[in-house]
Amino acid sequence: MSHRSYFRTARVFSILFLVLILLGLAQTVSAVVELQISPSAIQRIPIAVPDFKYMTPEQSQLAREMSDVLSNDLNISGVFRPLDRKGFLEDPQVMGLEASEIKFQDWSRQGADFLARCSYQVQGNSIRLDGRLFDVAGRKIVGAPKSYSGELRAWRQMVHAFADDIMLMLTGERGVFDTKIAYVQNVGTAKEIFYCDFDGYNPVQVTRDNNIALSPSWSPDQSQIAFVSYRDGFPKVYGVNVSNNSRYLISGFPGMNITPAWRPGRNELAVTLTKDGGQDIYLVSPTGQVIRKFGVGFGSSISVSPDWSPDGQKFAYVSNESGNPQIYTFDVSTGQKKRLTFSGNYNTSPAWSPKGDWIAYSGREGGEFDIFIIRPDGSENHSLTHGSRNEGPCWSPDGRMIAYSSNKQGGSAIRVMYSNGTGDWQLTRQSGAQELPDWSPRRNRQ
Amino acid sequence: MTQSGFFSVGYYIGLSYEGGKRMKSKQSVFLVLMIFALIAALSACAKKNVPPPPGYGAAGQEYGAAAGGGPMDEAKWRELGINSEAEKREFLDKAKVFENQDVYFDYDAYTLTEPAKKVLDEKMAFLKRFPRVAVTIEGHCDERGTTEYNIALGERRANAAQQYILNSNSSNLKLTTVSYGKERPVASGHDEASYAKNRRAHFVLNY
Repeated sequence: MSHRSYFRTARVFSILFLVLILLGLAQTVSAVVELQISPSAIQRIPIAVPDFKYMTPEQSQLAREMSDVLSNDLNISGVFRPLDRKGFLEDPQVMGLEASEIKFQDWSRQGADFLARCSYQVQGNSIRLDGRLFDVAGRKIVGAPKSYSGELRAWRQMVHAFADDIMLMLTGERGVFDTKIAYVQNVGTAKEIFYCDFDGYNPVQVTRDNNIALSPSWSPDQSQIAFVSYRDGFPKVYGVNVSNNSRYLISGFPGMNITPAWRPGRNELAVTLTKDGGQDIYLVSPTGQVIRKFGVGFGSSISVSPDWSPDGQKFAYVSNESGNPQIYTFDVSTGQKKRLTFSGNYNTSPAWSPKGDWIAYSGREGGEFDIFIIRPDGSENHSLTHGSRNEGPCWSPDGRMIAYSSNKQGGSAIRVMYSNGTGDWQLTRQSGAQELPDWSPRRNRQ
Repeated sequence: MTQSGFFSVGYYIGLSYEGGKRMKSKQSVFLVLMIFALIAALSACAKKNVPPPPGYGAAGQEYGAAAGGGPMDEAKWRELGINSEAEKREFLDKAKVFENQDVYFDYDAYTLTEPAKKVLDEKMAFLKRFPRVAVTIEGHCDERGTTEYNIALGERRANAAQQYILNSNSSNLKLTTVSYGKERPVASGHDEASYAKNRRAHFVLNY
């Protein structure tokens, strides 16, 4: 860090300090500073997550399970390194919950920068979870104690919510632990829509049409999934409310209705239709009113797979007007069309990153398909995967991860990697091939 | 899903792949965001329920029931313009050939080759003889390439076959197209011989 930027940072720090004191929040500063003085952030932050403390005897087995879920969330975030709890000295069921009861020196010796200390109580079918994040070096709590309550069967969601809060307190951005990933799964000879939690748990089957269902796309508020189904004999776009599984027709024009993409921030979708003969991308309402024909089609060319920029002002899509499939972008306000990819002769399935800084896609090189990313200006094009069939990328809403389908472990499954190409783990473990993942936005929280 | 699988995933990965330079230039913005984050975190209501997802938008039309075919009776034969047993036999014989002969395409292509046009000419002869029969032209692809693009490609194949017929037949034919992309292969091998069989327009008679 140069001297100039050091002083600028120091000045900003003093302003920050004043603001916080004025708000009576000075206690939280050290945790923030901790992150700021290591801007390179090469290493993950070591955090201790002891078993949760059960305050009532019911469901005592959750003490370890909940701790596992929280550790797993924090590990997946890419920001934290949960410590092996074998080295922990205190019995988690005896150890205290308040700052005054925490033996910070012990935790510090074990290498923990932070300690996540949680307790829970079960009453009948409901559960209440209390979580505190402690700054080990500063010997104090970070932020306020958090509390979550709800139905017992939703305990995983509550642990995810605390993990989200930890991310928010330490990085300034919520995690993606309350998000879902929708995908297509082979069931016998049929393809059905499913979704699961971001960590692969709680798979839910959405369609049972015993037909071909494809291309799930989450609505911006995570309440609906648009998808394609052949159940009427022709591909039409349907919507489903995931909370009550009620379905409705979105787009059933004569010809082909495929590849829905819900527009960020608006109750509108981009779809590919052939209702006017050629293939083109249209903007439709959730009840199928055509709002606009974008006119990206060109003669008898293919136009398919739109995916919106986060501001909803542009979309990336696939066109073969050059002779083979390439990624293009279209600006809906200027009507300008731009070819983005020039390397390779089979580039499909674009996915615009939630921060707008990258477009991921599936590209063929030799006989193999890999996930590539490219800047929206066409620069820094490079592959993230190497070999086999890696297709259909989609981004986590914080842009840190990419889910995609891959056959690297045999049959096609959904895998997740960090968006710099590292990490990589298998999300879906059900039998039957899975493909076409779509990562939901975060849920709005009160 | 094993716990250890997750824990072994790259421990020493940076917060993001933005370099140190970018981070510095963004520090002040980051700090401001940090203040907001802290305020948001601390002023957040302490007790939180995990809410059910709210409703979204207006629900449109419900699913319609899928149309089903029925047995052939004399009225249906007459609708097809078939009035005798001999005509019936002729129709059924030719229909078999009509449905069994596919129109093939090159890889990632939907232009009609000369052999493809020859097959389509035979289809037109059948449709000239039985112009009232409803036909669905299915577009199919081989397994290479992505699911969605192949649906779009199959649509272009079915459309190319349909246009060829419509361009040289003046009668009011009942033609529709549907693309199955790579979802309904006829050959299951992973070699060029299978791929070639799967890159096709397949004709189905609806009677």
